[in-house]
Amino acid sequence: MEPQRQLVSGSVCLLPPASCLSGSLCRLPRNIVQITHYKQYPPDISKVYSYFECRSRSEGQFNEVVFFGLQYLLKKYLAGPVVTEDKIQEAKIFYQLHFRQPVFDEEGWRKILEKHDGRLPICIKAIPEGKVIPRGNVLFTVENTDPDFYWLTNYVETMLVQVWYPITVATISREFKKILAKHLKATSGSLEGLDFKMHDFGYRGVSSQESAALGGAAHLVNFCSTDTVAGIQMVRRYYGCPMAGFSIPAAEHSTIISWGKNREKEAFESLLDQFPSGPVSVVSDSYDIFNACKRIWGDELKERVMERSADSTLVIRPDSGDVAETLLQVIKILEDCFGCSLNSMGYKLLPSYLRIIQGDGIDLGSVDEVLKKLRDKGWSAENVFFGCGSTLLQKMNRDTLNCVFKCSYVETNGRGMDVWKQPVTDPSKGSKRGRLSLRRNSNGFLETVERGAGKPEEDLLVTVFENGSILQEYTLEEIRKNAQLWQEDIIPCQHNQDHLQAEQQHIMNAVH
Amino acid sequence: MAAQDFNILLASDSYKITHYKQYPPDISKVYSYFECRSRSEGQFNEVVFFGLQYLLKKYLAGPVVTEDKIQEAKIFYQLHFRQPVFDEEGWRKILETMLVQVWYPITVATISREFKKILAKHLKATSGSLEGLDFKMHDFGYRGVSSQESAALGGAAHLVNFCSTDTVAGIQMVRRYYGCPMAGFSIPAAEHSTIISWGKNREKEAFESLLDQFPSGPVSVVSDSYDIFNACKRIWGDELKERVMERSADSTLVIRPDSGDVAETLLQVIKILEDCFGCSLNSMGYKLLPSYLRIIQGDGIDLGSVDEVLKKLRDKGWSAENVFFGCGSTLLQKMNRDTLNCVFKCSYVETNGRGMDVWKQPVTDPSKGSKRGRLSLRRNSNGFLETVERGAGKPEEDLLVTVFENGSILQEYTLEEIRKNAQLWQEDIIPCQHNQDHLQAEQQHIMNAVH
Repeated sequence: MEPQRQLVSGSVCLLPPASCLSGSLCRLPRNIVQITHYKQYPPDISKVYSYFECRSRSEGQFNEVVFFGLQYLLKKYLAGPVVTEDKIQEAKIFYQLHFRQPVFDEEGWRKILEKHDGRLPICIKAIPEGKVIPRGNVLFTVENTDPDFYWLTNYVETMLVQVWYPITVATISREFKKILAKHLKATSGSLEGLDFKMHDFGYRGVSSQESAALGGAAHLVNFCSTDTVAGIQMVRRYYGCPMAGFSIPAAEHSTIISWGKNREKEAFESLLDQFPSGPVSVVSDSYDIFNACKRIWGDELKERVMERSADSTLVIRPDSGDVAETLLQVIKILEDCFGCSLNSMGYKLLPSYLRIIQGDGIDLGSVDEVLKKLRDKGWSAENVFFGCGSTLLQKMNRDTLNCVFKCSYVETNGRGMDVWKQPVTDPSKGSKRGRLSLRRNSNGFLETVERGAGKPEEDLLVTVFENGSILQEYTLEEIRKNAQLWQEDIIPCQHNQDHLQAEQQHIMNAVH
Repeated sequence: MAAQDFNILLASDSYKITHYKQYPPDISKVYSYFECRSRSEGQFNEVVFFGLQYLLKKYLAGPVVTEDKIQEAKIFYQLHFRQPVFDEEGWRKILETMLVQVWYPITVATISREFKKILAKHLKATSGSLEGLDFKMHDFGYRGVSSQESAALGGAAHLVNFCSTDTVAGIQMVRRYYGCPMAGFSIPAAEHSTIISWGKNREKEAFESLLDQFPSGPVSVVSDSYDIFNACKRIWGDELKERVMERSADSTLVIRPDSGDVAETLLQVIKILEDCFGCSLNSMGYKLLPSYLRIIQGDGIDLGSVDEVLKKLRDKGWSAENVFFGCGSTLLQKMNRDTLNCVFKCSYVETNGRGMDVWKQPVTDPSKGSKRGRLSLRRNSNGFLETVERGAGKPEEDLLVTVFENGSILQEYTLEEIRKNAQLWQEDIIPCQHNQDHLQAEQQHIMNAVH
């Protein structure tokens, strides 16, 4: 019996009967309206030139971005002969049904097949991947190389704009690295182990397998620590690195609670038995983290723990409660049970067989807060590792770094013209004008030169794709080098703040 | 059949490969469940279940383990853990990571349906009917999601509630996995590049060309490249006024603002259009632009702003029929697993032939406690849905259906059936005192049903 609820009588969309579409999915993904744009450009237009940037914001958290991920999109979706007769036919049928009128430019697409063997007559220039660039600068440009295909430049916008995601993950991941480096340096005097301080836990929390691959890979630009296998695979296939990330055996709640509520000790002990060498991580909050640390680890299994070598650390994992407070209580209990020593900077260190990983509720704010509170209590950042899921791989969007793709230059009847939008309703949505290049000016700052005024020899943009071929590739090794932290990322001081402020001012001025 | 080049042994959090060594000895069954945990405060009280069929068909059905894949995984994990932990038997317990990703289509379908409730409410109140509801919210999110595959999943989830989309990948996903050849429609539309490429002083020529190129059927024209108010007043409302008025009701010009305050810009635009083109009153006494003219607002739209816009329009006497909406990131990207607290937890095991209910209950966060034992879902005597724990449910009352067993998909759903299941209820559209009590009582009951 159902409660008193009535269905709304409204149109559930009834579809006209249509024969099932056969054939493989066109490898070139499409945004629908852009199918109709070939009819909308001015007559005799022969070139459309567009660019991608992460627009500046006067206030805002992220001043610079890590460029990453374009190579994946080029290799996977744009390279080689991507237009075939089958795909044209499939698209034709699709769009007839979808628009309920014939708007598809069959002839235009067939010409790509006839003139260029199905390879895309566009040219893409980009800054090298891994480079860290201030907001508001051109990151890549796209233009057609054959005047018949002016419409192709913005056709690929939808797909290329998705590079916002690996850029944003790589950027946020690097921001984590700055915070961790700062605390690690301050409390231990070195950056040893930095690359393993932030572990990617985000596989289940992203929106798809492919996003896991992209986001997971982007994190590996900055760190070597991950459980997101898809990211490692992506980097292996598209960025030439066979094994970019590592992990350790670790428990999850099901492997603890399946022993029964009164057998948590047996569950823990079994883990020590099964993984006698190498580090092992044990989630310890299934019932009571404090009891688990004090009574089980700190007493009943204390000797087993102390037996483990420095290469076979027990890493205890809380997974609930206030992020900082829980950690502080746990480390206090462990200090009481196992003792500690002082490192060369005078900060406290748990015995080498014992560490903690905090993987719950970690974001840029909380990781800074936790490390600060630990430091205030005299603890080194060496004691703790971090894990991050959604914040690293999902809690972001195209507006996080204001990623956009805009047309800035066209040629009609052989004449070039700078174009731009400048909505009176929102000046921040204005776009750059003309052909663009990126240079380092005489003060050493990166800046975008507009209106075609840039000198080719100074241009840092590199042709990466042309007429279906990839002309420049980057390995993860090169990318990691490009994305390294700078000295001022780790030790901000008055001098550098001025330096950074001056740079920011200059960048702001450089926008028109 | 699952995709050939996909290796299920490499599709989970790597630590799960080590779990076969961590369960108690002689364990023979592990039983887990998925839920969207309750929150006492929070925006979403109910969720639309969607997307599992895609995961089953794409990744789990058929023979997914081959010798090649086992060997590939073995080599991978040796390098990744820097010690041999991979066990060819032990991988079976790793499905959680992949299945939990169903949080995404569930969340998109749920948020999309929340949009539908708001739109239906205003449409009903200002026009007396729900005609055209399915076209009121257009998916603009393709470029703003994190990957092509997410676009397919999210785009498909929106099509559970609406028929209006530019995210082709979603249509394709539904065609392949949910038996619907064409689940969504669109119209020819401009973008800024097709306007500004004419030059700053030729916006009128650009607009006119659009009317020429698309003489029949609706056409959408983004009009804020330089000055939306000038474009509406001078170009549409004067220089091209006759061309606009020529268009039939089937060939509507849909004007698109794309910047500025969401509600204010819309109100100013509709005022200008009223001044230039006039309006009429519908059967409920609300104002309607002429049938050849409509507006689509696709900038800054979320659940809050769409409600606010329609409310303000209504306060000024305008029907919701005048406006369409587009949504990108909010529909497909601005969400995460915590939006609906989606989790996968073990609740029952069998060891040495003996069954045992298991659960977590961290003292540090009671809300993270999990359900216990074998579970079923039933409709109780008051008509409310509730989960029965500890294996106490009666099989004949259980609403859970076996959809997958031993590599085979046993139950499939078409989009048509899914759309019917996800239809709005009367009280979604017209909340009134009686129904509020009814809803509150339901919520209370649900809260009580958690342990």
